[in-house]
Amino acid sequence: MTGLLGPMMVIVWKDVLLELRSRDLVVSVVVFGLLVVVVFNFALNNTPGRSEELAPGILWSAFAFAAVLAMNRAFVRDQEQGGLEGLLISPVSRDAIFLGKALTSLIFMLLVEAALLPIYAVMLDFSALSWMLILTIFLGTLGFAVVGTLFSAIAVQTRSREIMLPVLFFPVLLPVIIAAVEASTRAIGGETFVGLGRWLPLIGVFDALFLVICPWVFGFVVEE
Amino acid sequence: MANTQSIERLGSIDRLPSLKTALAAITGVMMLVDLYLIFMVAPTDSVLGHVQRVFYFHVPIAIMSFLAFFIVFIGSLMYLIKRTPKWDAIAHASAEVGVVFVTLALITGIIWARPIWNTWWTWEPRLTTTMILWLIYVAYLMVRSYAPSQSKGAIYAAVVGIIGFIDVPIVYYSVVWWRSIHPSPVVGPFAQADALDGTMAWILLYSFITFVFFFAYMVAERMELRKTEEALGRIRFILRRRGR
Amino acid sequence: MLDFILLSTHLPSSNLPYLFAAFAVSWVVLFGYLFYVNRRQHEMKKEIARLQSVLDQSDEEE
Repeated sequence: MTGLLGPMMVIVWKDVLLELRSRDLVVSVVVFGLLVVVVFNFALNNTPGRSEELAPGILWSAFAFAAVLAMNRAFVRDQEQGGLEGLLISPVSRDAIFLGKALTSLIFMLLVEAALLPIYAVMLDFSALSWMLILTIFLGTLGFAVVGTLFSAIAVQTRSREIMLPVLFFPVLLPVIIAAVEASTRAIGGETFVGLGRWLPLIGVFDALFLVICPWVFGFVVEE
Repeated sequence: MANTQSIERLGSIDRLPSLKTALAAITGVMMLVDLYLIFMVAPTDSVLGHVQRVFYFHVPIAIMSFLAFFIVFIGSLMYLIKRTPKWDAIAHASAEVGVVFVTLALITGIIWARPIWNTWWTWEPRLTTTMILWLIYVAYLMVRSYAPSQSKGAIYAAVVGIIGFIDVPIVYYSVVWWRSIHPSPVVGPFAQADALDGTMAWILLYSFITFVFFFAYMVAERMELRKTEEALGRIRFILRRRGR
Repeated sequence: MLDFILLSTHLPSSNLPYLFAAFAVSWVVLFGYLFYVNRRQHEMKKEIARLQSVLDQSDEEE
């Protein structure tokens, strides 16, 4: 297990450092997240009375679109710089590479979401001070990161990479989005873990399942 | 005559044509019988009337489209493990024919919904899952054609085939649970289409078997097309190597 | 009398267009696909034959 963790953390560390130094990706994704909320707010005709009903949906739509955007750009940049190739030549295991990349995406998106959440709480008028909400966001984003990293690795090699990732991502992650919105609705309403019903366990099972499957198929995607 | 010989020189167009013809013949006969059963033998539904007969096409087509995706899953798995081209060929052909079937399932479903439920669409579990299945099939085919090479395309598609298949049941249940909280005002008589009387049930079964053969025939056609594609690729390769 | 009225309001007679549409679409799509596959097959075989003769010619030249 330690053979996995070490290389993984090195990859994560390197990518995170790279990102913090340039910061352009974080900023642009946060701005994008704000734009999505503004558009949805008007598109869905979000009046004060309806805010409670619409907020979780708008929140997760924004997070999902932001995640796709972020992972797309991260992998494109990585490919341009030859980062992935370099890793593949080295003796690091494919699993470590995949998990490292996924963890990087996860951390990145959690940072973006942490920046956006307070703003959303104000704009959409809900209380974000809920551990259950935080947990939901964490588990949902984990699902995005794991499946998204795999699909990004595929999409970045294809001819129309900007469209390929969303086309792959959204159908597969629909259950996570459904569950996250439902769980968030209850969490914001002040429910405890039990009150969230089956939704959080659904995301949990999804995450666990794909945490096993995605690293395995990743090996085939990047083989030469 | 000389041309057929040279094609065979290059590659293998073997037993497939005769299997294909057999399937075509069987399908043709079965379909004629099926149509007779649907329109002449099946009882008229007392509540829904004649339009209910769409059911005998819509349900088998829908079930077949899911079955096709299972074949894509198996083919994808076997291809990733064994790398024999025939598994990729089966997966690819099944996916393409599968897309045709899901598309048809959706269209007939929509046409069926309008008179029965008085709405073109409803976000109920089966329809929604079918829609998602369609999207995953399309993603499968897109990945294949947008990939940098044939072999990479086969691998990426196989990955999508596997992930997609595992995902579909999860999608279904998440929508079922979602619907239990947001029930649709549409609860049509065939929302639970299992209240069948005997005749309807076995005609439905027969129709399903007919479509299994139809599917098999279409896959056989597609696989033969693929063989021709490969033969064309080979001859182009040879010519290119000779600088023509 | 009431039963009769209820029954006749229940008879869906005007739905036959939908019935026709569903079956018609099914045939069009299914045969459309088969037609498409066959046409591509035909075109490719022609192309193979053409390239084959080019190949044969270059064989003779060598």
